[in-house]
Amino acid sequence: MSLLTEAQTKTTAIIIVAIVIIAIIAGAAYYLSQKPAQTVTVTQTQTVTQTASPTTTTSPTQTVTPPKIKEIKIGLIEPLTGAHAVFGQEAKQAAELIIDVINNELGGIKNLGGAKLKLVVADAGETPEQAKLAAEKLVAQEHPPIILGAYISRMTAAVAEVTEREKIILVMDGLVDSLTEQGWKYVFRAAPKASAHGKSAVDFVVEMAKKKNLTIKKAAVIHEDSIFGTYVAQGAIKELVKYGIDYMAEAYPYDISDATPIVSKLMDYNPDVVISVPYFHDGVLIAKTIKEMGFHPMFIAGAGACGYTDPDSIKAAGEAVEWYTNTYSYNPARPTEWNKKIVKMFEERYGKLPTEAAGIIFYSLMVVKEALEKAAELHPEDPLNPDNLREAFLSLDLTDNNSIAAQLYPTGHIKFAPNGDNIYAGTAILQVINGEPHVVWPDPEPGIQPVFPRPDWPGAKG
Amino acid sequence: MISIDPSLLAQNLVNGVFTGLLYSLVALGLALIFGVMDIINFAHGDFVMVGAYLTYVLATTFLIEPSLTAFITMPIFFLLGIVIYKLIIEKVLGAEPLIQIAVTVGLLMVLRNLALMIFHAEPKGVPFTIFTQPIVLGPITIASSRLAAGIVSLVALGLVHLLLTRTKWGIAVRATADDREVAELMGINVKKVYAVTFGLGTALTALAAALIMTFSRADPYLGLLYGLLSWVIVAMGGLGGVVGVLFSGLIIGIIEALGITIVGAGARELFIYLTFFFVLWFRPRGLFGRR
Repeated sequence: MSLLTEAQTKTTAIIIVAIVIIAIIAGAAYYLSQKPAQTVTVTQTQTVTQTASPTTTTSPTQTVTPPKIKEIKIGLIEPLTGAHAVFGQEAKQAAELIIDVINNELGGIKNLGGAKLKLVVADAGETPEQAKLAAEKLVAQEHPPIILGAYISRMTAAVAEVTEREKIILVMDGLVDSLTEQGWKYVFRAAPKASAHGKSAVDFVVEMAKKKNLTIKKAAVIHEDSIFGTYVAQGAIKELVKYGIDYMAEAYPYDISDATPIVSKLMDYNPDVVISVPYFHDGVLIAKTIKEMGFHPMFIAGAGACGYTDPDSIKAAGEAVEWYTNTYSYNPARPTEWNKKIVKMFEERYGKLPTEAAGIIFYSLMVVKEALEKAAELHPEDPLNPDNLREAFLSLDLTDNNSIAAQLYPTGHIKFAPNGDNIYAGTAILQVINGEPHVVWPDPEPGIQPVFPRPDWPGAKG
Repeated sequence: MISIDPSLLAQNLVNGVFTGLLYSLVALGLALIFGVMDIINFAHGDFVMVGAYLTYVLATTFLIEPSLTAFITMPIFFLLGIVIYKLIIEKVLGAEPLIQIAVTVGLLMVLRNLALMIFHAEPKGVPFTIFTQPIVLGPITIASSRLAAGIVSLVALGLVHLLLTRTKWGIAVRATADDREVAELMGINVKKVYAVTFGLGTALTALAAALIMTFSRADPYLGLLYGLLSWVIVAMGGLGGVVGVLFSGLIIGIIEALGITIVGAGARELFIYLTFFFVLWFRPRGLFGRR
C-alpha cells in the first residue's frame, strides 16, 4: 500500500541529495554552535604603566621611570555581538569596573608613578575570523601591550595568532586546554582550564566522601564529545586514576535525542558517583532520564560550568537536578575582603550578580595590575617591553595575603607555569539545593552546607 | 566492552523499541507529505522544534501535563500546516526540486531563527510530568514516559493507516499520490487533498513534540536532529506507507540503542547512517519500496 508509485528511482535520488544537504547544514550549524554557552572568553586590553610589587605596592619612587608613563592601554577583545554577546558584554562591564577600581581606589599602577589604565575594546564577533580581524585592528590603532580575551576558545586562538606575532601579552579567558599547549610565549591564563574543571569535580566528591566516611570505588564519567567536554572529562579521569578509583567513560554527541541507553549503561555499571559533563541542553535530558529510570547513585557531579546548576537548567529540569553540582571558574560567594567588595560594586553598578564571564575578568585584570607593578620593579627602564612583562607575570606568586587578584580567585592562589597556566588553578562548585544554586565548595556560602551523599541514595542514612 | 550482559542487551532492546516507535511518529508526517505531494519538506524537523516550544509555553503557563497539550497543539498545527501550504507550498507544487528545496530551507531558517530570537539558546523544559516512576520488570527498567510515547505513537500510526486504507478520504489521497492528473479527472479536489495532507502531516509533529517534552527539552536546534532522522526513516522505508515508516523507525531506534550499548554513544550517528547505507545498498528502493 505504498503512497507513491512512479518515478521512485528519481525520488530516492532526490531524498539522498536532500539528506546530504541536511547533513552539510547540520554539520555547519554544529560547528557554528559549538559550545556557545560555556567557555567564557573575556578579553581586556589594558595599557599599563609600570608598577612595582603586587603586594601593597611601594609608593612610586620616581627614580624608577626614565620613560615617564602616564597611561597604559589595556585591550579587551570580547564577543560583544552575536551568539556569545551575553558573555562578552558582561566581561566588558567587569573590565570597566575593575579599571575604575585600579585607577581611582588603588591609585593606578603605583610603581609607575600612579599611571592610569585605559581600556580599549574591540568586538570579537562570533567567528575566529572576526576575532582575528578585531585583534589586528586593535593592535594597529591602539598598540596595547596587554590584551585580554576572547572567551570562546577558538576565537581566543585566533586572537593569540596576532598577539604572538606582535609580541603582545594575551591574558586568556578561553578555557580549552590546548590554548596553552601551542608553544605560545606571550599567553597567560589565570582561569581554570577545562581539565581543571573535571579535576575539581572529582576532588570535591572525594573530599566529601572522606568527610562522611564513605568510600568511592567506582565512578562513571559521561561527557558530550566536543573538544571542551573531552578535556573536562580527561581532567576528571586523570584525577580518578590518581585516587585509584575504577571508572567507565562514555562520550556522546550533545544533540542526543534520548538518554535511556546511556542511563541503562550507567545503571548496569552501577558506579558510586557519576561525573557528568553536559553541553547545556543535554543536561536536562540526562537528569530527567536518570530520575525517571530510578537510578540512585551516591552522588552526581556536573563538571564544565554548563548546565544543571544555572537558572535556566533548573527551570527546565525542575526536581530532576536537585542536589546536582557543577564547577565554575569564579566564586561570587568567596568571603574575602576584596571579593565581597567587588561583587557588591558590580551589583550596585549593573543590578545583577556577576557570573563566570565577569568573574574571570575580575581576577585576570587584577593579575595584569600585579604584573605591571612587578615589571616596573624588575625593569624600571622598560617595564612595558613584552619580554619584561612576561618575566613579571612568571615571577608572580599571588595569595590572599599579598594581592587582590588571589582574593578574587576560587583557590586563592595564582602562580603561572612557563606555559602560561595557573599552577594552582581550581574551580568553585555550585549545588542545587531546594531548587536554588548555592556555592558549596571550597568556600561555601554563609549558612550553606553541601548535600552529600544524595539523600535518595539507598546508602544514605536517615 | 566486549562481554555484554544479556540483561543490559535486553534492556536496550526495550529502550530502542520505544524510541524507535517515537521516531516513526516523527517521520510519519514527512512520509505522508512527501508520499502524497512529492514535496521535499526540509522544515519538517523544525515543526517538531516549534511544537516543542509551544508545548513548553502551554504546559508552563497553564500548568498542564505536557503530553496533554497535544489536544491543543494538534489542531493549531493542523491549521498552521494549511496556512503554510496555501502561502508557500502551493506556489511551488510541480516546480523544480531545487526550488522546492530553497523554499522549505527558507522556512526552516525562519523558524529556527525565530526560536533563537524569542527563546535564545537556553534549554526550555517542562519541570513536571505525570511520568516520573519507572516500570520495573525483573532486570528491565522502562521509563514510563518512553512507554507512553511508544504506545501513543503506535496508536497514531495505526489510525493514520486506517485513515488511508479504510476511508473515502484515504482513497482520494492514495489516488492523488498515484497519479495526480487522473485523480483530478476523476473529480478529486487535489488542492484540498494536498492542503489537508500538509495539515495532517504538520499536526503529527505537534503530537510527537508533546511526547518528546515529557522527558526532553526544547532548543532551537532540535529541528536538525529530528529533521535528518525523519529523512533517513522515510528513505529507508522506501515510501512504503505507514508500515514502512514503522519498521524503519524501529530499526533505527534499536540499532541506535544497541550501538550505544555495544560500542559507545559517541558513534551514535555512525550506526544510524551505516544502517541507512547498507539498506539502500541492498535495496535501493528501500525496505518496502515498490517497483
